[in-house]
Parts: sequence; C-alpha cells; structure tokens
Amino acid sequence: MKLRPGRIIAYLFLILLGLIGLAPLVYLGILSTKRRIEIAAEVPPSLAFNWDQIVKNYAEVLYSQGMLSFIGNSTLVVGISTILALLIGTPAAYAFSRLRFRGSANLANTILSLRFMPPIAVAIPLFIMVKSVGLQNSYPGLILPYVAFSIPLVVWIMIGFFDEVPRELDEAAMIDGASHYLIFWRIMLPIVRPGLMTSALFGALFIWNEFLVALYVINSRAYQTISMGAATLISAQRPIDWNIAAAVGVVTLIPILIFSLFVQRYIVRGLTAGAVK
Amino acid sequence: MLFLLGPCVLYLLTFSIYPLIYSLRLSFTDLDAAGGGGDWVGLRNYANLLVDPQFWNATRNSAIMVLASVTIQIVAGVGLALFFNLHLTGSWIVRGILMLPMLMTPIVVGLMWRALLNPDWGLVDWAIESVGLNPPDWLGSVWMAMLTLVLVDCWQWTPFVLLIVFARLQALPQDIFEAARVDGAGPFVIFRRITLPMLMPAILFAGLFRAVDAFRSFDLVFGLSYGGPARGTTTLAFFAFQHGFQFQNYGYAAAISYAMLIILIVGTAAILRYLRVQPVDRS
Repeated sequence: MKLRPGRIIAYLFLILLGLIGLAPLVYLGILSTKRRIEIAAEVPPSLAFNWDQIVKNYAEVLYSQGMLSFIGNSTLVVGISTILALLIGTPAAYAFSRLRFRGSANLANTILSLRFMPPIAVAIPLFIMVKSVGLQNSYPGLILPYVAFSIPLVVWIMIGFFDEVPRELDEAAMIDGASHYLIFWRIMLPIVRPGLMTSALFGALFIWNEFLVALYVINSRAYQTISMGAATLISAQRPIDWNIAAAVGVVTLIPILIFSLFVQRYIVRGLTAGAVK
Repeated sequence: MLFLLGPCVLYLLTFSIYPLIYSLRLSFTDLDAAGGGGDWVGLRNYANLLVDPQFWNATRNSAIMVLASVTIQIVAGVGLALFFNLHLTGSWIVRGILMLPMLMTPIVVGLMWRALLNPDWGLVDWAIESVGLNPPDWLGSVWMAMLTLVLVDCWQWTPFVLLIVFARLQALPQDIFEAARVDGAGPFVIFRRITLPMLMPAILFAGLFRAVDAFRSFDLVFGLSYGGPARGTTTLAFFAFQHGFQFQNYGYAAAISYAMLIILIVGTAAILRYLRVQPVDRS
C-alpha cells in the first residue's frame, strides 16, 4: 500500500484521538503512584515507579480510607438492585413489546420518560420515605430507590431486544397452547440473554456512579458506597491530596473497566438503546 | 398481563411517581432542616425563586452549558463518525478507547480533569507550555470555568454522538451513494444532499439525549468545579443539589426541581414538535 500524504495525516489524527481518549486515564493512574510532594515537583511526572509508594498509597486508600469496605457495600447494593430491576423490568418490557392493550403506548412512554427525570427531584422525598420506615443507614435504604432508578433503563433496553425476536416464534408457541407466562420464561428469556446482559451493565453502571441519594440515606461509614467515598473526598473543606485522590479515582474506575471488558459486545448496544434498530 | 406489568407499575408508582408528587407538595411548604416545620406556604417558594438572582444565574449557566455542549458534540460527533467511516486499519481500537469515557464515573471524570488542568503541575498546561503557548486559567475565571466544563463534558460524551451516527452510517444503503457518484455529484454535494438528511433522525436523537442528560447531571460539576468560581458553573441541577443537600432547604429545592421538570417537559415537547420527530420509533 502506498502511503499518500492524506493517509498519513488520517493516521496521525487517529493516533491523536486515541491519545485524547486514553492519556487522561493513564495520567490519573500515574498520579496515584506518586508521593504527595512529587506531584508538584515532577512536571511531567516521571515514569520511574516506586513500588513501595504504590503499595503505600493504595493501602491507605483501601484500608485507612475504607475504600475496600465501600467497594464491598457498592458491590452488594449494585448486585441486588440490578437483579431486582431486571426481575421487575423485563416482564414489563415483554408485555410492552407483545401485548397491545388500551393505553399501552402511553404507559410505556411514561415509564421511559422517568429515565430523563433529574434525580434531585425525587431524592428528598425518597430520603423522607426511607427515614420514616427506619431504613436510614441500611442496604435496603439504598436498594429500594436504586431499583426504581434502574427499571426505566431496563424496560427501555429490553423493549428493543424483545422487538427483534420474530413474532412467528411466540405465535407458534401460542398455537401449541403455551401461555404468555410460559412463552416468556421458556422461549423469550433465553433468546434475549444479550439484552439482559446489556441492561444489567447499564443498570449497574448507573447505581455504581450514583451518590446523591446515598448522601441523604447514608451517614454512617459502615454503609458508604464507593462513589460517596469519592464525593466526600472532594467536598471535604481541605486541600486535596492528589496522589490519594487519584488512587481513589483508579479504585472507583477499575471495577467498571473489568466488568465492561466481560460485556464489551453489549456496550454499544446499550448506549444506543432506542436509537438504532 | 397483570403478572407481567403489575410489579413494574406498582414499584414505579411507589418509588418514582409518589416521590414526584411528594416533591410537588414539598415545593409548597417551608420544610428545611433548620426548623421549618413543613407548613403550607402556597406559592411562596416559587415567588422567591423568580426574584432570586442565583436562580436566574443557574438557569443561564444551564442554558449556556447545554447549548454549547450539545452543539459542539453534534458537530464533532458527526465529523468523527465520517472519519471512522473511512475504515482505517486499526480504527476500531480507537473507537473502543473512546467508549471508555462514557463508562467512567462522572465525579471521577471531574476530579481527573481538575488534576490535568491544574495551573501549577497539570499535564495539559505543561503540554501547552512546552509548545511555547500560554495556557488559559482553566478553572480560575467565571467564563473560562464554564468553557472548561463544556469541554470536559464534550470529552466524555462526544463519543456518544459518534457512536449513534456511526451506527446509522453503517446501516445506510450504499447504492444511493453509488448512483450519486455516477451522476457526477462531488463529495460535498453528496454529504449535504444525501448523507446529512439520512443521518438527521440519528443526529436529532443523539442531540436530544445529550441535552437532557447534560441538563440534569450535577456530578460532573461536583467533581470538576463544585459550581465555582463565583457560581460561574452552578447549573440548575447543581443549584438544586446545593439547596437540597448542602443548605437543606427542602421546600425550596423541591421548587427548583419542579422548575427544572417544567423546563425539561416544555423544552423536549417544543423540540419534538418543532423537529417533528419521534424519539422512539416503535412502528
């Protein structure tokens, strides 16, 4: 292949794009390995890694700052909320895709529009509700609101996946005498597994990143979530220790990156849910 | 049918719709953490809102932020989609890299860029200085901080527009372009008369999504600039957060949220009507 100037420029641009996307993350990673004074002293930061310092920074973040237990809390809350949202949202999406009844379009649109609601509009009432039943500082106090936030996402994504399954399939099963319930569990669910993975990813991502409701509901360190940990680090009224802050950022992002590696085939599909047929 | 829809409807009624109505009721009370007992005050919160300069400042900031972000993201996103449509060898790797920002926790994105743009030791300032230019004071002045907020939002979300428009590009029937070329249309005419009109639904969809999400998100601001300096990056969402959480004026925060909801509903309805598109085509 001959290298024309246009092609070279195109490739340079491509590399530049990759750098713009990746360099900030790498920089955050490098900062997290430094001593506090090195951050201001080394510009740009050197790539000579000091393993003892790395261990020290991450030990401080994971143990002294409690991020390890926050990760545990987040994982538990994210896991249970996502499963519940899938259990509640998927059958509804199936109904919206397959059954036409009076007002079905309106009901579907109402549920989907909840996806666009600013969380602050419901955070205070949710907090008052959770408090009034004594669930402040508890996992259910977080899970109950989070399931509600995730359901519209799940319905939104799953309708698209159900719509893609040919109707002939359930019509054939219907003729054989199968009920909607049976069709849903035995025939549809196995087919839309990619959809379940996609909605699980985006439901989980939303909950992992959420900290507004958590700030209201949780004021005990024992139940703090990971994004709350990052938030309190910032709002604390003292200068930020950037090496520690960077390590907190890395610790927050790594589980997301690992999880999305496993489900990478579905990321695009989830992000563009509703946009592309 | 009750089996399938019942739990979903019931759950959302309890934990989404009821809180929304509750919030509306709160917005007519003086409930706060400092001793406001939640007495009915009618429209007082809304009246206060209309004469609160901070509210108008936040409204203006939100408008600037949403308009600027969405415009830049659409132009850049469409451009990038066309670029990736050249299918350079290895470009799928870069496309994969560009997915990462969208998955990142917004508050960490804000924090990360605060480090990158640090005036004393940030990597970006170093890079600008090393080519002999003077870096701006990114988060130091009211206007620059707003521009920085917009740019960071673009860093995170331009790939979203790229993704949607690129997917649409892949799905376009190729014979139309073939025919246009045979008829002697140049690349610019083809883009203006064929590609762009066919991409329009995807562009509008992506733009609407981005506008709503930029409008309602407050966590990027929280991480990047905490609304400052001099409230220059205090958007409505962040303003509502401050009153709802920091100052604990629950009634007032509820009124701000409802102002936001009204703007959202009127705004999206106006856009949809004006553009005559349906966000979700379920035909």
